[in-house]
Amino acid sequence: MSTVLSSLLHTLQRLGSWTFASGDQEPLLLSARDDVDGHHYAVGYRLNGKSVFVTQVAQRCHAIVTHPEEPFAVFVARRPGTQSYVIDLRDGKLVQTLDSPSDRHFYGHGVFHASGEWFYATENDTTDPGRGLLSAYRFNEGRLTRTHELSTHGLGPHEVAWMPDGETFVVANGGIRTEAESRVEMNLHAMEPSLVLMSRSGELLSKETLDLQMNSIRHLAIATDGTILACQQYMGAATDAAAMLGIKRPGKTFEAFPVAEPQRQAMAHYTASVAVHSELRLVALTAPRGNRFFIWDVDSGELRLDAPLPDCAGVGAVEDGFIVTSGQGRCRHYDCSNVNITMKPLELPSGLWDNHLLLH
Amino acid sequence: MFRPRLLLTGLALALGACSPQNQQAQTSAALAEQVLLPAYSRWVDADRTLATSAVAFCSGKEDLNKAREAFFNAQKAWAELQPLLIGPLAENNTAWQVQFYPDKKNLVARQVEQLLKSNPQVDKTTLDKASVVVQGLTAYEYILFDSNIELADAEQKVRYCPLLTAISEHQQELAQRILARWKETDGMLAQLSKFPNQRYADAQEAIADLLRVQVTALDSLKKKLAVPLGRQSKGIPQPYQAEAWRSESSLLSIAASLASAQTLWNGVEGKGLRALLPKEQKPLADKIDAAYGDSSKQLAELQQQPLKHWLSDEGGIAKLNAFYDSLNTVHRLHESELAKALGIQLGFNANDGD
Repeated sequence: MSTVLSSLLHTLQRLGSWTFASGDQEPLLLSARDDVDGHHYAVGYRLNGKSVFVTQVAQRCHAIVTHPEEPFAVFVARRPGTQSYVIDLRDGKLVQTLDSPSDRHFYGHGVFHASGEWFYATENDTTDPGRGLLSAYRFNEGRLTRTHELSTHGLGPHEVAWMPDGETFVVANGGIRTEAESRVEMNLHAMEPSLVLMSRSGELLSKETLDLQMNSIRHLAIATDGTILACQQYMGAATDAAAMLGIKRPGKTFEAFPVAEPQRQAMAHYTASVAVHSELRLVALTAPRGNRFFIWDVDSGELRLDAPLPDCAGVGAVEDGFIVTSGQGRCRHYDCSNVNITMKPLELPSGLWDNHLLLH
Repeated sequence: MFRPRLLLTGLALALGACSPQNQQAQTSAALAEQVLLPAYSRWVDADRTLATSAVAFCSGKEDLNKAREAFFNAQKAWAELQPLLIGPLAENNTAWQVQFYPDKKNLVARQVEQLLKSNPQVDKTTLDKASVVVQGLTAYEYILFDSNIELADAEQKVRYCPLLTAISEHQQELAQRILARWKETDGMLAQLSKFPNQRYADAQEAIADLLRVQVTALDSLKKKLAVPLGRQSKGIPQPYQAEAWRSESSLLSIAASLASAQTLWNGVEGKGLRALLPKEQKPLADKIDAAYGDSSKQLAELQQQPLKHWLSDEGGIAKLNAFYDSLNTVHRLHESELAKALGIQLGFNANDGD
């Protein structure tokens, strides 16, 4: 396969397309997970329950980013973590530990460029708390080396993703300042959340906000047609009507997705993950404080599923629907190929699955 | 030749019967049948009595004391449901229709008066479409107990009676609808009894959900005490921020919720969460029993006076703080030690996500 084609395929895979199973293998479910004693792990399981690796790591991780060609993934530390782990997906071996510089820490997310030569991670500048950075790592001779930084043009960046061109970053700037060693918010009354599009060279292309200033834009899902879906966590009063799911359709402005009041209120102002299924034109959202999992039609806004799922966490697309993990219960497969969505529990370990999953 | 094999089969069956999953399924089913469903049924009964009482009071066949008694009964039934708030009543913010608390800005008084101004002859149909603030027991309590309302005055009684009746009818219908959803095919009772189902992948998930709502309720009992105690407002008591302050039934509600949480722990005929602890966890079970015992004892003494009495001097505040500490012990034992002993992780992402 040519590099260009494989690069394109990689970008498409990360863009809300369901994951191509490699050969006859079931997709590999990658996630951060804890044990009951609070130890942290990077794990990989086939969806049929077969464990591929369970690797203990020192710091709790958040999102997982796979290399487009090489069989490894970066398990990115969540804020204010200072270590991300490069894990071999065949056996779970820790290949490399990325240590952030002393005045930086990770924010939980990153992306690989489709060429496989660059890895970018969102980071905090602790000398100017909250100043958003994308740190760039060069992949050379099997190792990642930190080379330079780009500004995310906003405060407290969280998730970063690619537009379908694979050259334009989408950044969810959460808008919250936090200091090193801390998860305590310093600026709740002066938050500056924003959805930023920027070029790979760092040039700001657009910067948009939602109505309420305390509505932290945190997670992203990008469809193959360039539709951006963003989910929020609201830091203001419980009675405020904050939009928990936002959408930026191609060529349009960033706005609230038409979520009806019962669903919006059920989220308790907190969402964990969002995923989009480009072929089925569905968007899925986990709300662990509301203990609800939702699916809507991206185009019509029609609610397709509003299901109880305690402490639901990561969500990702598979051919016929979505896989969802939970911090409390079993992982689930939602088959969305028919009008009535059906759920099947998966034979995977129960509970303690962290915020995100990646299907590889 | 056959004997050892039969013996092994018998042993396997015996082990299977006691497997954790099986025991969890039995406990979940028993709690649903013997604790939760009866509590939801009592709530329906209490709201039926409330509706009858509203009509009787408004037609002059019942005095104010009787009407207030029916309110206390409904309030108590609702308080008992709070540690059992699982399924349909817990979803879509339906519970807000039952009670509007906390009410920091006294919205209940304002919205009741606004509603009666714009709709002097309010009926259930109008109320069904109105704000949750005026649909529930808090608005009902406002009418029956607020010092600015004199129901002995015939004119005032005529003014408030349409809303009083509408609220009682709204509550009655809501309670009946929720109970029907418990009892329907594949309803909540079935989902807590047969696994897997569309809600629970296995019995462990059902037990985890039961523990989760119990822990949430215990935590909110602490908040119901902490707010009037001023623990979140520099120690300055806030008696008007207490739950059910107008009817002085704050402690009654706390007592009903606490007793209900304890029933989930003990179960009926020993078929509660306690029964899921293995023998070696007896010290933990004893600790939880003792914590409930201590809280109940302190509360029994406090219940001899209304909450505002205790809030009025330092000695009373000290007693309330001691009770808060005992509730905290009950809460923490469930949230951490019991959850861990039962292999349940509560709020991993909900409380500490990103």
